[in-house]
Amino acid sequence: MKRTMLFARSNVRKAKGQTIAIIVLVLLSSAMMNLWLMLSMDYERNFERYHDKLNDGHITLAAYTNGEDFKSFLTGTLDDLDGVTGYCISEALCTPGTFAFDGGEIMANFAVLEKEEALLRPVGTFEIAEEGSFDSGVYLPVHYRMEGNYAVGDTIALSLGGGTYSYTVCGFFHTAMTGTHNCGIVSILLTEDRFCELAEKGGAAPSTLVSVRIQETEKNKEMDSLLLEEISKAFPDTAVYHNCYSDVWTARYISPMICAGVMSAMACFVLLIGVVVISSNVVHMIQEQMQNLGALKAVGYTSRQLIVSLLAQFAGITVVTGALGCLLSYCVFPAINEMMTAQTGVPYEIRFLPMPCMITIVFISAVVVAAVYLSAKRMRKIEPIVAIRQGVATHNFKKNPVPLERTSLPVHAALAMKTTLSGFKQNVVVGITMLVISLILVFSGVMFENVIRDMQPFIDMIAGESADSYINVNRDMEEAFLDILAEDDRVEKRYLYHTEQIQHVGGLSVEGVVSDDFTKLNNQSVVIEGRFPEYENEAAVAAKYARENGLHIGDEITLKAGAGEYTYLITGFVQTTNHLGRDCALTREGYGKIGELQSVTYYLNLSEGTDIDGFNDQITERLAGSINASNNIQAIIKGSGSVYVALLTMIVAVVMVLSVLIVLFVMYLLVRTLLNGKKREYGILKALGYTTGQLVLQTALSFMPAVIFSVAVGMVICARIINPLLAVFLGGLGIVKCTFTVPVWFNLTAGAGLILFAFAAACLISLRVKKIAPRELLSGE
Amino acid sequence: MKEALIGTERLSKSFSNGGAMQHVLKNMDLTLYQGDFTVIMGASGAGKSTLLYALSGMDTPTLGKITCCGKEISGLSSDELAVFRKEHCGFVFQQIYLIDTMSVMDNVLAAGLLVSRDKKAVAARAKELFHAVGIPEETQRKFPTQISGGEAQRVGIVRALINSPEILFADEPTGALNSKAGLDVLDTLTKFHEEGLSVVMVTHDMRSARRGNRILYLKDGAVMGECELGHYKPDDKARHEKLRAFLAEMGW
Repeated sequence: MKRTMLFARSNVRKAKGQTIAIIVLVLLSSAMMNLWLMLSMDYERNFERYHDKLNDGHITLAAYTNGEDFKSFLTGTLDDLDGVTGYCISEALCTPGTFAFDGGEIMANFAVLEKEEALLRPVGTFEIAEEGSFDSGVYLPVHYRMEGNYAVGDTIALSLGGGTYSYTVCGFFHTAMTGTHNCGIVSILLTEDRFCELAEKGGAAPSTLVSVRIQETEKNKEMDSLLLEEISKAFPDTAVYHNCYSDVWTARYISPMICAGVMSAMACFVLLIGVVVISSNVVHMIQEQMQNLGALKAVGYTSRQLIVSLLAQFAGITVVTGALGCLLSYCVFPAINEMMTAQTGVPYEIRFLPMPCMITIVFISAVVVAAVYLSAKRMRKIEPIVAIRQGVATHNFKKNPVPLERTSLPVHAALAMKTTLSGFKQNVVVGITMLVISLILVFSGVMFENVIRDMQPFIDMIAGESADSYINVNRDMEEAFLDILAEDDRVEKRYLYHTEQIQHVGGLSVEGVVSDDFTKLNNQSVVIEGRFPEYENEAAVAAKYARENGLHIGDEITLKAGAGEYTYLITGFVQTTNHLGRDCALTREGYGKIGELQSVTYYLNLSEGTDIDGFNDQITERLAGSINASNNIQAIIKGSGSVYVALLTMIVAVVMVLSVLIVLFVMYLLVRTLLNGKKREYGILKALGYTTGQLVLQTALSFMPAVIFSVAVGMVICARIINPLLAVFLGGLGIVKCTFTVPVWFNLTAGAGLILFAFAAACLISLRVKKIAPRELLSGE
Repeated sequence: MKEALIGTERLSKSFSNGGAMQHVLKNMDLTLYQGDFTVIMGASGAGKSTLLYALSGMDTPTLGKITCCGKEISGLSSDELAVFRKEHCGFVFQQIYLIDTMSVMDNVLAAGLLVSRDKKAVAARAKELFHAVGIPEETQRKFPTQISGGEAQRVGIVRALINSPEILFADEPTGALNSKAGLDVLDTLTKFHEEGLSVVMVTHDMRSARRGNRILYLKDGAVMGECELGHYKPDDKARHEKLRAFLAEMGW
């Protein structure tokens, strides 16, 4: 066995560079795999722990009423419902509002609670994370501290209802269900004096905040719908904002989901490349060491012993490198955690997780061992005497590709082409690598074009409709409001775009979007199939919801809001992520069949250069008391989008750097392997008068057909599959069809850049040809 | 009066051997002439091949000056030497060194197309040479591992001559061949020499050495002696005896 291990060791010694490159590939793939497993196995479960620790509800309701009849109805209903294990009903002040955040504005439905009372809630507990010595002001969810926007002692201006209120930030608190603007409801706590002041000024409606815990978490959506249905039956005119555990989890964990997805894909790609490279290395090593293998077999070593020695060599390297990769993942995890926490708002304590490490090491080792075994089993067929004579053919002598006499190619290109056509494995490795890198480049291009450079396509897809301003006005003042808009030449376009809670009879609660004319919407791409409703008996439903519930265009859907119920014809599928794929669109007349709008929200396009905030303030002032909310949509988009822009910029930067590294490592491995195999040939060619430059050119050119072909094919294929692929990634958010622009200019530039980079890398690495001296052909004196 | 083809002045070549310097060629002053078939002989380790590769620009000297084909080559870079070799020299190696993955024809064309882009002319010249050395057309399409050693060495000679070099360097060209194949190779070299080609050949085989008209005997990195044999004639016993006597004198 010792001698067979010497054989393995001599392989490592002879191919130090290749061994190092293989180590780097295994290191990268194990680091990314461990990160992916940590994110998917533990990080995403952190919400469950956080939720349990705070004994938070699985359903949260913010009802715009605090009447005793409502509370007693709720108490009775919750007591009677099976599966409810606890609940808490609190007095609150609810209103839509905004505040400055991350260079833009955050818009949310706020539930404002009195701090001392809130801290005593048995279900949906608020836990102080940090507080200063201020005795008057506001406490914010800890998410808004993590982002680095606010600190204790800062002043925050909250636009609530029609007014703006300045508060000193007294501290921050933990809450699972109402902690970020993605949750649907954002809780804020005011000190008693400030709470009374807000209530007195009428800045927010006296309301009720309800947190409900249930026994079976997985039934949270059904319970949410059931509660809403019960409330709408009993209190049809009461506005209710709500969320449930699944929706909040999805909304808060978008970034970790995307990050885990990217990590898993990258880990698999790098591992695949590593496996192909290892396999190629083993085959090449067997060819190189044919005589040694023959000698070992001749003295009695079995094929099994020789294969085992190789397996031991690679398994040893993989286990050690896999462990180091896991260690590496822990070095980068804090930075990733910081980015993720900024989006989830849920603090995560990094600790050692043995299971992901074990799975990573075992899986990668198993894959590598399998690859080595499959490549090495050809050793069984080697006859000792044939091997000693180096007689095992490694070249197909039936074909002479690109005969120099007949080809029209210049001699260097022809010789390079001969190498290309005789290197099947080399071409496979190049092909796989370039396909992977093409996908990464196309992904980066799509993200750059649709998110980083211009966020609008991303916003159109994620947020759905956007304009400059939206104003919610009481229904009785709608005509006066429209008259004011008609007189104002800053208003270029206005249209009703109002959201109401609607119940799908026999299904879940959905968000109903009501408009007087859907053709006026700025973003018509919200409809991904069919059309918007035009008549009162028509509805368009979310594509994801339709898919999950077996609904098709032309089917009927029965909706209800409060006491009203009506059956609509489905005319199309819409897609936004606002409600995680649970939307439906109705005309105003259509909604009138099931309910009556208490207030109406209008979206406005303003002329360029208009001060949106100033415009909103003026309208609010002119219709004082009738404007419930007015917001600068552009600022909100900027605020909400900045998190995604930062995250995707980081992902694009990381994958681009990794791509460069992968190309370099793969080219290094291939060129080194090629040069080792061609040492004698290049020595002969040098003796005949070929210069180093000519041989470097030949070497680099020999990779180019595979590089150019796979990049071209990869770019075309990836450009076609990138949108469906992203739709799979973003499916959890309600996206079933991505329509991102695939930037042709970027793909062409990136493809050409990749080819040139691969060529330059091959040339650079091929400079080792310089070390091959013709005098090495000298016969011994 | 013969015209000088290669000249050396105080040519030295040393190798580092485990930290100690080994002086293989020592201050050698030498002139080789155009049209000669020069044979370099000597005991193993005398520096024969080292001298051959230094003279041909395959290797660089440690000290001294080499002029070959009217050009001083001792100060050239490795790429300049490569260009010099392809323009002026042809090589025949003991181990033949054909490229296994190329057909016989491609082995020759790979050398020929390096100098001329006229593919038809190069191919025609190759075929002419193949015919001259007795390599039939079907063999030209084979790969080196599919032909005999003697055939391979004759292909090696064709490759060496494809660019019509001014001088042909041969390092033990029959060393790896059986006697019949070796004889064929020597006949081929003699034939081209008779057509005016200058040949420098290293050998330790007296039968091969008889083909030369000038014999240099190396010992310890220096020319110990030389012998003029005159024009080669297959059955010239006197010539043969003269060589034997010379070698005996050199301690062969």
